[in-house]
Amino acid sequence: MQKEAVIDLSFDIEEGEIVGFLGPNGAGKTTTLKMLSGILHPSDGQASVLGYTPWERKKEFKRQFSIVMGQKNQLWWDLPASDSFELNKLIYDLDDTEYKRTLDELVELLGVSEQLHVQVRRLSLGERMKMELIASLLHRPKVILLDEPTIGLDIISQSKIRQFFKTYNKTYNTTILLTSHYMRDIEDLCSRTMIINHGQLVYDGDLKSVNDVIGSWKLLKIQLSAPVSELSLNGYGKIRSRSELEVVFELSKQDVLRKSKEILDHLPVIDFTIEDIPLEEGIAILYEKGGLPHAQ
Amino acid sequence: MQMIWKEAKRYSRIYGRFMKFSVMSQMEYRTNFITAFLIETAYLLIKLLYAILPYQVGTDINGWSPDAILLYVGVFTIMSGLYSGLFFTNFTQLPDKVRTGSLDVLITKPISLQFAVTLRQFELGYTIPNVLGGSVMVAIGWSRMGLPVDFYHIGGFIFFIAIGVLVAYSVFLLPQLLAFWTVQTTGVTDMSNSVFETNYVPMAVYDRIIQRLGTFLLPVFVICNFPPMFVMGGLSAGMVWWAVLAPIWLLIIIRVIWRYALRHYSSASQ
Repeated sequence: MQKEAVIDLSFDIEEGEIVGFLGPNGAGKTTTLKMLSGILHPSDGQASVLGYTPWERKKEFKRQFSIVMGQKNQLWWDLPASDSFELNKLIYDLDDTEYKRTLDELVELLGVSEQLHVQVRRLSLGERMKMELIASLLHRPKVILLDEPTIGLDIISQSKIRQFFKTYNKTYNTTILLTSHYMRDIEDLCSRTMIINHGQLVYDGDLKSVNDVIGSWKLLKIQLSAPVSELSLNGYGKIRSRSELEVVFELSKQDVLRKSKEILDHLPVIDFTIEDIPLEEGIAILYEKGGLPHAQ
Repeated sequence: MQMIWKEAKRYSRIYGRFMKFSVMSQMEYRTNFITAFLIETAYLLIKLLYAILPYQVGTDINGWSPDAILLYVGVFTIMSGLYSGLFFTNFTQLPDKVRTGSLDVLITKPISLQFAVTLRQFELGYTIPNVLGGSVMVAIGWSRMGLPVDFYHIGGFIFFIAIGVLVAYSVFLLPQLLAFWTVQTTGVTDMSNSVFETNYVPMAVYDRIIQRLGTFLLPVFVICNFPPMFVMGGLSAGMVWWAVLAPIWLLIIIRVIWRYALRHYSSASQ
């Protein structure tokens, strides 16, 4: 069965830019990255990365870019990461001193010197991801494609990895294209965001206008220990959905802390979470408002 | 030329690492390694039965004396050790790699994907008992037949073993390439295994038509028959030429299909 994952998608990225690729699951983000890295051969269309057509899979091209996929690994599972690095040194034909310098620097930046000689299978998810990053960056790629690099990681690891890319981009002017469905990744790193939905580009511009729409509302989900009356729920904000013991409020960003506090004080809450509006809805809102100033 | 030499050096160093890493990984799971080793040794005994039987019967089988059969079974055993140690695991994992999309990262590396995928794992536990046991059988058969121990015979024997390894690589990789289209290939693997097992006995045992098919169309008989036939002087000049051409021809076919298959590679969605 054939499914069109990406249709009519056009964009340019300048050298040294960090661009965020945002979109709900199944929007075509990963497919696009796979085409840009030459893993997939598109049925039609063109792409040029560093002057090469990715799916021609030229060796000179492969030496200059890297793709990191949060859910795929390249390290030898039963061996220490340092062994896989050595192998990559041979594969990329790296010079001894250059390799050592790069490795030391990356290990230092990511703070994993202690784990370097521990078998990969014994590392935590976050440590493993950092090792994957090192393996992908040893050859100093000019272009880095990151597919969900922080998926499944705890908040501290996520933020460390973001910090790492920020520094790395500043130091080496590396071009980075990043997909994520964590808004934080994009907010923190990217000056420019592209939103893709159903394989098409629906927005291309800075994140601020997107954030004005998507980020201006938060969802407060509460769990109650006992049912409460309709009346006692009034006055806090728009009720998005409710069942007997669970209520979801839609609160504006400015009010979220104050209103949450009131709710926690006055209602029999046993658990709560504050979340962003799901990206799919954000995109729908953007559409409805016609709020796509830079859309192509 | 210098470029080719440099690349050959790089690839052989990478291959050295693959072997080293595979053995190191296997040593992490010693019980498993020892079990594989023991199972292979048990299979070795079964192969030995094929060699002993002709001695018990005491007659030639289609021109092969019991000593010649021992030599043959020795070659077959060495070959199964090399095939299962060097290739088998890689080949059978290919469908899985296609299904899970784990080829993805490998595709982006500046190294031949076919090399990286088909030669990555090396199974020491399969290789050692078979190559050792097979070599002993070959040595006994060789000396009982009074075959000359000189550079021409031993060099030629090793040359035809190498040819056999290349042919085995191509013939048994070919069906696994179907995985790029069909994803599951367990049926094909079973079939490949039984094709390999036709080599339990010399091809002289089979019908003439089957001999022809197995030599020229799907040259499985080249794998185990040519080394003993060469040292016993039973290989015609035409066959020697075919032995040289067959692997080249097969490797070209593999290369073409591999490239074509890779264009169809659809990865996995996550």
